[in-house]
Amino acid sequence: MCARDHVGATVKTQPFLRSFVTPAALCALAFLIAMAAVLQYSLRAYIPGSLDPGGLTLANFTALLKPLYAQVFLNTVWICFLTASYTLIVGYPLAYALVHVRNRFAKSAILITVVTPLFLGEVVRTYSWIIVLGNNGFINSILLQLGIIETPFQFMFTRFGVVVALVHVTMPVMVIMLAAALSHIDRDYLEAAESLGAGRIRAFATVTLPLSMPGIIAGVTTSFAWTFSAFATPQLIGGGQVNMISNLVYQLGFASFNFPFAASLCVAGLALTLAVLSLLRLATRPLEKMGPH
Amino acid sequence: MSSTAADMRRDVPQAAGGAGDDIAVRFSGVAKRFGDVVALNDVSLAIRRGELMTLLGPSGCGKTTLLNLVAGFFSPDAGQVLIGDELVNNVATYKREIGMMFQNYALFPHMTVAANVGYGLKMRRLPRADIERRVGDVLALVKLAGLQERKPRQLSGGQQQRVALARALVINPRVLLLDEPFSALDKNLRASMQVELREIQRTLGVTTIFVTHDQSEALSLSDRIAVMLEGRVRQVGAPAEIYAQPCERFVASFVGDANVLRGRLDRVAGGEAIVALGDARVKVSAVPLTGLASAAAVDLFVRPEQMQVSDAPGPCASVGTVAAQIYQGGHVDLYLDSVDSVSGRLLVRLPGHEAMTRWPIGARVNISFDRDTAVAFPA
Repeated sequence: MCARDHVGATVKTQPFLRSFVTPAALCALAFLIAMAAVLQYSLRAYIPGSLDPGGLTLANFTALLKPLYAQVFLNTVWICFLTASYTLIVGYPLAYALVHVRNRFAKSAILITVVTPLFLGEVVRTYSWIIVLGNNGFINSILLQLGIIETPFQFMFTRFGVVVALVHVTMPVMVIMLAAALSHIDRDYLEAAESLGAGRIRAFATVTLPLSMPGIIAGVTTSFAWTFSAFATPQLIGGGQVNMISNLVYQLGFASFNFPFAASLCVAGLALTLAVLSLLRLATRPLEKMGPH
Repeated sequence: MSSTAADMRRDVPQAAGGAGDDIAVRFSGVAKRFGDVVALNDVSLAIRRGELMTLLGPSGCGKTTLLNLVAGFFSPDAGQVLIGDELVNNVATYKREIGMMFQNYALFPHMTVAANVGYGLKMRRLPRADIERRVGDVLALVKLAGLQERKPRQLSGGQQQRVALARALVINPRVLLLDEPFSALDKNLRASMQVELREIQRTLGVTTIFVTHDQSEALSLSDRIAVMLEGRVRQVGAPAEIYAQPCERFVASFVGDANVLRGRLDRVAGGEAIVALGDARVKVSAVPLTGLASAAAVDLFVRPEQMQVSDAPGPCASVGTVAAQIYQGGHVDLYLDSVDSVSGRLLVRLPGHEAMTRWPIGARVNISFDRDTAVAFPA
């Protein structure tokens, strides 16, 4: 209601936006139809050997409760959680440096390093990680040649390998959101803290960190939601050993041609995403109040 | 209330020894540059214990840099900064035991008033009960008792400033640093906050360094003023001294209103010089005119309230025509056109309101000065 009022007001004050209303409505309609199609597929019976679905049924959803599938859902949530956490841990110092480094070249270097993943396709990026993480890959060959290890580390086909590649995917959005939050923190707050007896670390913990909380929440939420729908990365690096919801949907839909069941997985996945994000929002509400506004 | 103040007062040793024991902050030969810009150039200045010293000057004069050197946000390129007897050139800000009030107050937006004020005490790891008590005391001192649980954004500008002051004072700082604290307040509030700040500062006896570009603020608040220009301290003295005996042109024109009249040096006798202007011979201090030849052009600086106008015929310093009258309530500002004025205009400030009818626009008047009030500098 509130959002609609806002849109109405914006359109009124900026008349040129009116010409966008029709295409926007058409797009929304197309998305709605697609969603409706998925939803109705998920409620139809699977006829083995046929691409056409059968009559209405809830069997697809009851089948989802099998431990095999539940395990994939849990695994997905866990991978999302790990990815979001690691992205935050690696991204925060990067964002901090991006905001506070004075040298223009250093700033550009950080920005380019961080943002480049956005310009590479997911598949290209994932193949690069295979080159880095493989048994004969960059990391292992260096460690082997230096004699630090005798047998290669197993990065490929492990959850760790998948998470590493996914962190790379979500890093740009995390760093940009954190940098936006950090750049809004007035330097005077830090100087005030220091003048009152706080050393660098305590000033960071009591002032910078809480004031950047809105950025942390936005970054974690977004990277969580992005990771939830990851497909190529777990497919290629997980190699069937690490399965996320998208991989399961792919297997069921395009290996078994069980469209109704695949559709029900999509619906359940979507519901789970929304549920987890709402939970996240609920849990972070007290933290959000720490922000500057 | 008075017991609160007594609790918070630092032990001020009554100066028994020489004046040297009584210095709270000392700069000696301090220099600082930022890239090619020289911010401070060989500044030496001593601030006495318990006094309110104002650093006054136009923007870019180095006054804020000097304040930040005490705060420790950076260190000097040359020279020494001492707080008490301690050389603090390379002492980190958080170890300096200073209280600073920022121009925009810099209250932590995510903390309540109590948490803001108690922050410095918490950093000093005081017990929670002590913190609560001292926060309550200092909030009472700044007349904000009971607002502990508010957030800064729920406070008015004046209240925010009181919180900022309380936060800086509660840690019993060795020096209180104020960076243009009144610039964000409207005029009426500013006046009342100035009075209050002065009262609190006197009560606590806390050494205070106050940075401002507002000369009237400096005159009304300070024990002493250091007037700065282009990275140097130009004159240090009590407000009355700075106003009445400026040591150079810049100080004379920056502090207070001044009329500048072009005269000629008549003669120098001892510490005094006589300047000829019209029929008048004006006695001034010879110090700023050292080395000037007789009959050299000099500029006389005369304050608006030290000029008199009359229509009685006879010898006078200058003549002028009333160009504008500005009624100011307690006094009248007359603007006169005069050829002797360097700018072509003179400002004469007359008490009461009679001048409005006595000296109508267009009236020709004779101008004279009060005895021994003018200062002169080489033209």
